[in-house]
Amino acid sequence: MSSLIGFVSLAMAVLINIYLIVSNFFIKYNNKVFNLIVRSSSFLTILSFFSLMYAYIISDFSNFNVFQNSHSEKPLIYKISGTWGNHEGSMLLWLSILSIYGFFFSQTKKINLQFKKQTLLIQSSLHILFGLFIVFTSNPFLVNSVIVKEGLGLNPILQDPGLAIHPPVLYAGYVGYSIVFSLAIAGLFTNNDNEDWIFITKRWALISWTFLTGGIALGSYWAYYELGWGGWWFWDPVENISLMPWIAGLALVHSLLMAKGEQIMKKWIIFLSILCFSLSVFGTFLVRSGILTSVHSFASDASRGIFILLIFFIVTGFGFLVFLLKSPESSKPINFLSINKVSALVINNILMIIATLTILLGTIYPIIVEVLTNDRISVGGPYFNSTVIPIMIPGFLLMSIAPILSWQTNRIKNARLYVLGFIVISLLVLIQSYLSTFNTWGVLGLILGIWIITASFISIISSYKIDYNFRLLQKINPHIAHIGVGIAIIGITCSSVFKNEYDFNLNEGDKILIEDANIKLEKIEISNEVNYQALRANFLIEKDKKIVGNIKAGKNYYPVSKMITTEAGIFHEWHRDIYFIVGEQKNNNWFIKVYINPFVSFIWIGVLIMVFSGFVGVTKK
Amino acid sequence: MNRLIILSPLLILLIICLFALIYLLSNKDPSKPPSALINKNVPNFESNSLYEINNIIKTQDLKNKKVLINFFASWCVPCKVEHPLFFEISKNYPDLFIIGFNHKDKSDDAKKYLSEDGNPYNFVGVDSDGMIALEFGVFGLPETFLINEKGKIIYKFMGPLTKEIIKNEVVPLL
Repeated sequence: MSSLIGFVSLAMAVLINIYLIVSNFFIKYNNKVFNLIVRSSSFLTILSFFSLMYAYIISDFSNFNVFQNSHSEKPLIYKISGTWGNHEGSMLLWLSILSIYGFFFSQTKKINLQFKKQTLLIQSSLHILFGLFIVFTSNPFLVNSVIVKEGLGLNPILQDPGLAIHPPVLYAGYVGYSIVFSLAIAGLFTNNDNEDWIFITKRWALISWTFLTGGIALGSYWAYYELGWGGWWFWDPVENISLMPWIAGLALVHSLLMAKGEQIMKKWIIFLSILCFSLSVFGTFLVRSGILTSVHSFASDASRGIFILLIFFIVTGFGFLVFLLKSPESSKPINFLSINKVSALVINNILMIIATLTILLGTIYPIIVEVLTNDRISVGGPYFNSTVIPIMIPGFLLMSIAPILSWQTNRIKNARLYVLGFIVISLLVLIQSYLSTFNTWGVLGLILGIWIITASFISIISSYKIDYNFRLLQKINPHIAHIGVGIAIIGITCSSVFKNEYDFNLNEGDKILIEDANIKLEKIEISNEVNYQALRANFLIEKDKKIVGNIKAGKNYYPVSKMITTEAGIFHEWHRDIYFIVGEQKNNNWFIKVYINPFVSFIWIGVLIMVFSGFVGVTKK
Repeated sequence: MNRLIILSPLLILLIICLFALIYLLSNKDPSKPPSALINKNVPNFESNSLYEINNIIKTQDLKNKKVLINFFASWCVPCKVEHPLFFEISKNYPDLFIIGFNHKDKSDDAKKYLSEDGNPYNFVGVDSDGMIALEFGVFGLPETFLINEKGKIIYKFMGPLTKEIIKNEVVPLL
């Protein structure tokens, strides 16, 4: 029953949007009716999504999708997250988020009505494209042809609280760019000359970017403790796909900051708006077509791939075509020679676009090579590390001083203080690393990170009157975001450059000493949980003869899908993570791998600060 | 010049879409990498018959025979789908020796499955702990291998066979 409701409301939602677009040529809707139509389509899409979720919650195995991806013994939260843990459901989630954005955008006031209508019409067209894709190739409401009592289970690796919320947050980021895209196209169509659209675009771009940041970080954190490889970023194709719209979005948010009447910037913003959403759809295509191998690959299907490739082609091609034909003529060239905020931001934008293109090339290169030569290659960490990072470094350097540059003049306030600060920090880091282990990337990263934080603090203190209220927070918000980046850079540098890996073969009761921590493998236990069997090694961590931690690491065995997952045990300290992996048992000994990951927590703290400042930025008028 | 810059995103888009389309149409599937075992010797194995514990089959027994090896299990739904096709193969190619390895299964379940759906195999080997599948690099059930008279693996297919695949890919090798 719920499947029927779900399908009918989905089909209705698409039909309403088709009706809206066709009838819009003949009927001049007044604002209220127009909004009503848009919102009813949103409501039906969301209803459709919740009926699928309901089918999952009650384990309705007469729905083929539920049968394939769920199991009655699964805990409730994973039944719910099972809704989007598969191709069909995740596409429906995609569409629902598109509808939610449309709904909220339809509430926007203080906007040229013609412009708003145009934006919503483009949003509706996107809804139709993706809606048809779901109905024809990825219908989650198919009826199961056989009567069964039990489902086939969900990929156990996806049974994790972090991963349950990772896709919705990530999609909220990806799909949010649709509004930015629609705004840009609508702006080109209506030749919108007033500046309102910049503020409106800024808000939506910032919301999307903030969600995307959170989504990527959640996925990364999940990979860190669930995959059990000791790292948090693997340059997996799907990670790259999310990084591209993230960087492009970053460029967009920054361009919007300075787009006060500069024609060329307007052009650039429109370009970035189209690019961000194009990259999001491209990412959806790459993941959903199964064209790339990665931990995210679901069963692939060529017709599905071609359909979504077509959507990507239509959306992106349409976007850039309109841009080509209707883009505003630039009038005022920017003076790049002066050292001011505008030129710093322009240079940063250029660097970010180069970085995006570099990642794009590395991501699609295997496809091109395989088509041309039939060889299968994979482009991994070494390529990205040695290309993307050097491109980003000058950007990071600029970013530390950009907020203090003035908009027009060449003067820098307190220039001497900053130069002095930079020299002192560089010297300190150099001496410190000379006394411990010297590593070029390590030194560079540390100097950058500490410098960004210090420079941001100097400018907060020297430029604003400190009083404790929200207004101040809004004013210093860019600095706060940059402090977050600085902290994350320190975390990224230390955890990748200075990490250590130790292997042991241990029996119960054995003790080892790693750095200053005494670690004892106390006990190995096997227990039966609701839908899996758990093997856990219990480690006691002792420092200065005091027990400071008790960490469980091990593996889970899921009988329904016959899969084993690694459950890393992580002992968090502010300056490092001790990361335990339990391997195979041989001759009464357990193979234990221990990573010392310094300053990993800084990455998550940095990201949290960025997300926080993203939301503060949204509130800014 | 300016026009060219604005045109470039469209050009890049076209190139990407073109390559992606060729890739999709050429039926390449990244989740199915070419097997490293193709043109290699059959891995060493030893397995007893499902019906008779003392009846043992070894790698050496496959010499001078064309052999088709299929990994299956009673719990594997797609195996059930491809199952009837083996009757056709065995009818059309009586010289072909067809081995079914019963993978990680209970012997009673397997016997019941073969009595209900029929037994197209010349020999049903037991692989209860999955070690033989491991040697063959089996990724998931069902999986089918073709071995020539010299004991080399000449073909491998992951997933359920279909009539088209048998006609286009398996038959030419028989």
